[in-house]
Amino acid sequence: MSKNKKEIVVAVAGNPNVGKSTLFTILTGEIAHVANWPGTTVERKEGLKEHRGRKIRFVDLPGTYSISATSPEEIVAREYIASGEPNVVLVLVDSTAPERTLNLAVQVLELTPKVVIALTKADATHSSGIHIHVDKLEEKLGVPVVLVSALKGTGLRELLDAVIDVAEGRKGRKKPLKVNYSWLEPYIAEVESLLSKHNALPEYDRRWAAVKLLEGDLRLEKILEERGFKELVREIRRLRTAIVRSTGKDISEHVITSRFNLVDSIAKEIVVRIKTPTTPKESLLEKLLIHPIYGPPLGLLILLISFTAAFALNTGFPLNVILDFAGFTEAAEIVEEYSLSGLIDSAFSYLSNILEQLMTQAKFPDWLVSLVIDGIIPGVGSVLSFFPLIVVIYIALSIIEDSGIGPRIAVSVNRFFNYFGLSGKAIYPLIIGLGCNVPAVMASRASIEEEERKQIIFSAPIVPCQARLLVILAFTTAYFTSPLQQALAIVSIYVIAILLTLTTSLLIRLLWFKKKDPPELILEIPPIHRPSLKVVWWLTWDYSKHFLKKAGTIIVALSIITWWLLSYGPLGVVTDVEESFGAIIGRSIAPLLTLYGISGENAWKTAFALLQGFVAKEALVETIAIMYGEAISTREALLALGLTPLQAYALLVFMTLYVPCLATVAAIFFESKSLKNTIIASIYMVALATVTSLIVYYLGLLIQVLVS
Amino acid sequence: MVSLENLPPGTRARVVGIVGGYGLSRRLMEMGFTPGTEVEVVNSGPGPLLVRVRGVVVALGRGVARKIIVQPVG
Repeated sequence: MSKNKKEIVVAVAGNPNVGKSTLFTILTGEIAHVANWPGTTVERKEGLKEHRGRKIRFVDLPGTYSISATSPEEIVAREYIASGEPNVVLVLVDSTAPERTLNLAVQVLELTPKVVIALTKADATHSSGIHIHVDKLEEKLGVPVVLVSALKGTGLRELLDAVIDVAEGRKGRKKPLKVNYSWLEPYIAEVESLLSKHNALPEYDRRWAAVKLLEGDLRLEKILEERGFKELVREIRRLRTAIVRSTGKDISEHVITSRFNLVDSIAKEIVVRIKTPTTPKESLLEKLLIHPIYGPPLGLLILLISFTAAFALNTGFPLNVILDFAGFTEAAEIVEEYSLSGLIDSAFSYLSNILEQLMTQAKFPDWLVSLVIDGIIPGVGSVLSFFPLIVVIYIALSIIEDSGIGPRIAVSVNRFFNYFGLSGKAIYPLIIGLGCNVPAVMASRASIEEEERKQIIFSAPIVPCQARLLVILAFTTAYFTSPLQQALAIVSIYVIAILLTLTTSLLIRLLWFKKKDPPELILEIPPIHRPSLKVVWWLTWDYSKHFLKKAGTIIVALSIITWWLLSYGPLGVVTDVEESFGAIIGRSIAPLLTLYGISGENAWKTAFALLQGFVAKEALVETIAIMYGEAISTREALLALGLTPLQAYALLVFMTLYVPCLATVAAIFFESKSLKNTIIASIYMVALATVTSLIVYYLGLLIQVLVS
Repeated sequence: MVSLENLPPGTRARVVGIVGGYGLSRRLMEMGFTPGTEVEVVNSGPGPLLVRVRGVVVALGRGVARKIIVQPVG
């Protein structure tokens, strides 16, 4: 095969907020492949594009400010660039803030000469009063520079041309860029000759590695030690100490400052500012959001409205409760029936009826008909019925994220979160948790502090997710008659759960990490802009697909298992659910429910349902429905448990707080990388659920006695 | 020389240095807070400070802002 036909691999690097996801989406159209970078939880996205007959594979690097080794994202980025796999590194530079964003481009150019620079947000330069001499920048850096606007779609063809030209060696530099490190230069030469003598880090540019080692790069030191160059590491460390002692200067500070000096001198020549950068327009929304008094309530209001709208669209809640309360009972029922979940529910029962008829006519074996009708369809239906909810929630979140409102909300709630040992950034994972706990646990990565990250991993699973909302709604509508009682029950459970989430986070920080101060907040605040539809859809689909895949497989498998456990017993096929394996398992844990005053026949059913809830919360209601047979409605099945409203409420508190689902436990494990901590977290949640729900139950009993 | 935390909104100052741990100093410097750089306090209330540095607005918790030593300009 000729060289031209080979696939070109392009690594895409850039600071956060330079418009990387927008450009990536528009360049590639869709994500071809999502996986984690080997050995990390950092996500790796790939996209394909064909241009001038060449196949180009874009690999999205995590958004970082530098390629030092201060975070897993930075290590991923630089090791991939150095791996030799990418033919070209595309570095994104924000044309409205070149003085800051060129820094990363210079860093990458020090590591590899195969670079193309995209000056993003070309459409915004005019309004920000900036003009950039592209040809001068090309001349200074020695690599192609292309002005692009993802919003208007300009410059994309030129960018792809440049990528191919650099990949095939027609354009660009032959050697990495040299930054002048003045007094450090002799020492750099010394380390370079040491590295060259031992041929210790052949994959990295030698000068780049020398500078990094002088800065005390722990990752490179570790690689050297693993390759048996322990003495070399010691020698470099000695040199470093000697430099610090003789010059009295901080090497890292000198390196970063020298690089920024180069950036400044380049910027001075290529950037023409018509307006001063210190007088940008601030919209009213921007001003209000960061206002010390109006900001926090406005931020929370935006979030609350998005979620209420999403809830109402999907389940009818809380619109149905409000309508019912106002006396419009019929309207409330219509809202419920025509909510997305209601419609999908009806569709599935219709499908179920038709399939049952068809399968019976076609003389399918009874067990197969039962498996499909009683097992798989209710299972798949329960997942799909709240899939739209997840999608709508994620659309709202993606808009907040892509528009720049998100960071402002994080700033406005920072002080409140500090009381619970978190920074304002923790609002993201906690809010996502209201949708689903799995991405909430994964969103802990946004934290720059390891302790805060752990706090989020272990406390976010207490936030009530959509699956719990469905259970809460089912039970409250069955056991509480007045809409006001229902609403109070629902809201109070959310309040209890969210307070316990925040308290748990604080306890982890105080007792486990022994830290009294809240985590530091460092967060870039991009200008508010109209979110790109493509990016919103891309983010939404990315989140939702994950949910559909993971939860889908688990719940389908679980509904088959439930069906089997309830249809078979030690004697084979059972006609009475009382003789099934499910009953045996349920009875073994049923005695615990006497603590809540639940005993006899209903205890094992409740216990078995709660056990199913360990795997997935939405299976809880469904299990109860299956146990009482298909003849009666879910509401009647729930009422058949014969609980008092207080017992139902205490069980709901328990259900909300104990381990959310298997998928979340798996997420906790993958993010914390500790089996021990995952087990501890699970036990903690069960204990928290037991203690809290018992307190609620006995407090309730006490109040009942006092009142009567 | 004062800490960035104590500057009222609208003030401009030059970064003198950062008194913090290795990770924090590095992170701030890579975001543009290098000695000699001019910064401007955009907003300062009871919560985090908003600071413009190199054409970008960055929110800094008060604890972080306290560690940035600056020399007011003009």
